[in-house]
Amino acid sequence: MDAYLVAILTIAGIYVILALALNLQFGLTGLVNFGVVGFFGLGAYASGIATESFHAPFVGGLAVAMATGAVAGGLLALLCLRLSGDFLAIVTLGFAETVRLIFNNEDWLTGGPKGLLIMTRPVLADFGRTANAWMVLGVVLAGVAVTLALMLRLAGTPYGRVLRAIREDELVPATLGKNVFVYRLQSFVIGSMLMAAAGSLYAHYVQTITPDNFTTPVAILVWMSVIVGGPGNMRGAVVGALAVVTIYEGSRFLTPWLGFLDAEQVSALRFIVIGTVLILVIRFRPEGLLPEPRHTPVMPATRRPALKG
Amino acid sequence: MDVTRRLFLTGSTLAVAAPALLRHGLAQSEPIKIGSLVPLSGGGGPYGPEKVQAHKAVVDLVNKQGGVLGRQVVLISENSETNPEAAVRAARKMIDADRVSAIIGTWASSVTLGIMPLCQEANVVQIFTGSSDTLPNGDKKGLCFNLQPLNKAWSVALADLAAKRGELKIAFAGPKNDFAASMGESFSKALEKVGGKIVGEPLYYNPNQVSYRAEAERLINSGAPALFLAGYVTDLTPVYRELVRGGYQGKVFALSFAVGPQFKQAVGTAANGILHGSPVPPVGKDTYDAYLDLVGLKPNGQVQNPYGCAAYDEINLLLLGIASARSTEGPRIAEHIMKVANGPGARVTTFAQGAKLLAEGKAINYDGASSSADFLPNGMLKSRDFALYEIEGDKDVLLTTTTSDAEQ
Repeated sequence: MDAYLVAILTIAGIYVILALALNLQFGLTGLVNFGVVGFFGLGAYASGIATESFHAPFVGGLAVAMATGAVAGGLLALLCLRLSGDFLAIVTLGFAETVRLIFNNEDWLTGGPKGLLIMTRPVLADFGRTANAWMVLGVVLAGVAVTLALMLRLAGTPYGRVLRAIREDELVPATLGKNVFVYRLQSFVIGSMLMAAAGSLYAHYVQTITPDNFTTPVAILVWMSVIVGGPGNMRGAVVGALAVVTIYEGSRFLTPWLGFLDAEQVSALRFIVIGTVLILVIRFRPEGLLPEPRHTPVMPATRRPALKG
Repeated sequence: MDVTRRLFLTGSTLAVAAPALLRHGLAQSEPIKIGSLVPLSGGGGPYGPEKVQAHKAVVDLVNKQGGVLGRQVVLISENSETNPEAAVRAARKMIDADRVSAIIGTWASSVTLGIMPLCQEANVVQIFTGSSDTLPNGDKKGLCFNLQPLNKAWSVALADLAAKRGELKIAFAGPKNDFAASMGESFSKALEKVGGKIVGEPLYYNPNQVSYRAEAERLINSGAPALFLAGYVTDLTPVYRELVRGGYQGKVFALSFAVGPQFKQAVGTAANGILHGSPVPPVGKDTYDAYLDLVGLKPNGQVQNPYGCAAYDEINLLLLGIASARSTEGPRIAEHIMKVANGPGARVTTFAQGAKLLAEGKAINYDGASSSADFLPNGMLKSRDFALYEIEGDKDVLLTTTTSDAEQ
C-alpha cells in the first residue's frame, strides 16, 4: 500500500506542475489554453528521444524538453496570441491534436503507435524497486517545489499584477504603456515550458509513452484541478490537483463496497463523481476552494452616502 | 484541542506503523490475488465483458471447491479503457496496493506492452490475448504468455486464401496503430511467399476521422484488383461505404471481428463477397463446450465469445501454474505455467482435474477451450485454429479451417 501511495503522489506531483503552469496562463493571464496535453506530450517525447536516441542523461532530457516546450509555445503564441478567448481555445486544442497525430505517424522519430520505451530513469543507481520509486518521487517533489516557489514569486511581483490586469481588461495596462502582447507571450512560453518539464518527468516515470497517453482527457483533468482549486491562486492549483487525483484514484478503493456495480460502471462512476464535484464547486464556490486573494484598493476616507430610493 | 509534541509523536508513529502491523497480522492466511485488466470501454469494449465474466466464473468455481493450495482466490477487476495510460495507472494500483501475482486479460497490444515494464520490474506474470509481432520483445524475464497467434500467423492464412482465389495483387489499408502496422508488414511478406505482391505503399489512416473519402479514392486510384482492409468495425464501416460509393469492383479481404453483425447491418447487401478470417475456438471440442456451459451459453455449432474462451484458458493456466509451483512468486509461476501448458503429462481440461493430479505428484498437460494452449519458449502460442469465411447474403459461409503454426 505504501508503494501505491508513492506512485499516486508521483502522479499527483506531475499534475500539480501541470496545474500550476495552466494557472499561470489561465488563472493569472486569462489565456484559455486547451492544448495542455500537447505541450505535456512534446516534453515527454523530446526528453525520451534525447535520452534514448542520443543517450543524454535525464537532466539533459529535461533541458531538451523544456527548450522544446518553450520554442513550441513561443511559435504557437506568435501565431495565435492575438486571437483571444474562444479562438485561442480552439487553436490550442487543434495544436494538441496535431501533435498527437505527429507522434502517431512519424514512426522513424517517435516509434509511432508502438510508442517509445524509455530506459533512462531519474535515479542515482538501481537500488531496487522500492528505493527507485522513492527517488523518482523525490525528483518530482523537487520539481513541484521549484515550480511552486517560482509561481508564488511571479504572482506576487508587479509582473504578476500586470498579468492580472491583462486578464481583467487588457485595455487598462495597454493605456499604462505595458506591451500586452509581450506579457501574454511570456506567460504562454513559461507555462508551456513547465508543462513540457512535467512531460519529461512523466515520461521517465512511466517509461513507456505512446500517443494514446496524450489525449484530451488529461487536459480536462488539469483544467478541473485549476477550476476546483481556485484560478489565480497558486496554492489553490496545488490543492485542486491533489483533490482531483485523490478522487480519480481513490475511487478505485470503493470497488469492494460497490459490489452491485461492475468495473465498467465503477470507472464511469469516477467521471460522474468528478463531474459532480466540478458542478457543485462552480455552483456554490465559483472562486474555487482557495480563492484568489483580493487586493482591495484603499478606499477614500469619505464615501458618498448610498442613494436611497 | 492543542496538539502537543507528545501527542503528535505518538499519533504519527502509529500512523506510519499501521500498514506494517496490519500486514504482519494478515500475511499468514492471505488470499491469492489476481488482477483482471480487460477493456470495458474503448476499442476493445465489445470483448472485455466476456473476458472478465470467464475470469470470474472460474474463480468462483475454484473457490467453491476449496481454493488454490487451500487459499481463496480474489479477483481484482479493473477497466483498461483500451488505453495504455489508464491501464498503467490501474496496473500500478493492482501491483502496489493489491500486490497481485499476475495481471491477465489485457486485449490491445498497446495496453499489454504499456504495462509490461511495470510487470517485469515487479515480477508479475502477464497472460493476455494480443497479436502484434512486437509483443515478445519486451519480455526479458519469461513472464508473458499469449493465447492469440501473432499477426504473422493471420497473414499466412489470409495470403494462402488470396492465392487460391487467384488474387495476387492486393493493396493494403488499415488504421495507424500497432496491430495494423505489424499486420501490413507481415501480410506483405506472406503474400510475396505465395508469389503475390502488395500494390503501391501500404495505406495507414488515422482512426476516428470524420470522412474517409480521400483514403477510399486513393485505394480506387491505385488500380489494385483486390484490397486487404485490416480495420476495426468502427473505421472499416466508413471506409467500405466510401469504396462502394466510389464504385470499387475488386475483391475485399478483412478480419472477422470487423465484419460482424454491426458491419453487415450498416452496409447491407454490399457486404456480399467479402472474404475474411480470424483465429477461432475449436467449435465442438469438449473443452470449448465446457467453457460455454460454465458461462451459461449453449453450444450451437457457431463461434461464440471468441475472447471469452481465451480468458477461460488465461485464468485456468494461471491457477494451475500457482498450484504446481506452490508459490505466488511471478518467476516460479511462469516456469510452472510452461510445464502445465506444454506437458508432458496427463491431459486435463479444468483446474479441479489438474489440481488433483498435481497433489498426487503427477505431471499434467492443460488442454484449453481456445486452443490446446501450448507455448513457444518465448511465451507465444504455438498454434491455433484459423477459419476463413466468405459473406453471402448477410451470412458467413465457412470456406476452410486451418491450423496456423507460428514459425519461429
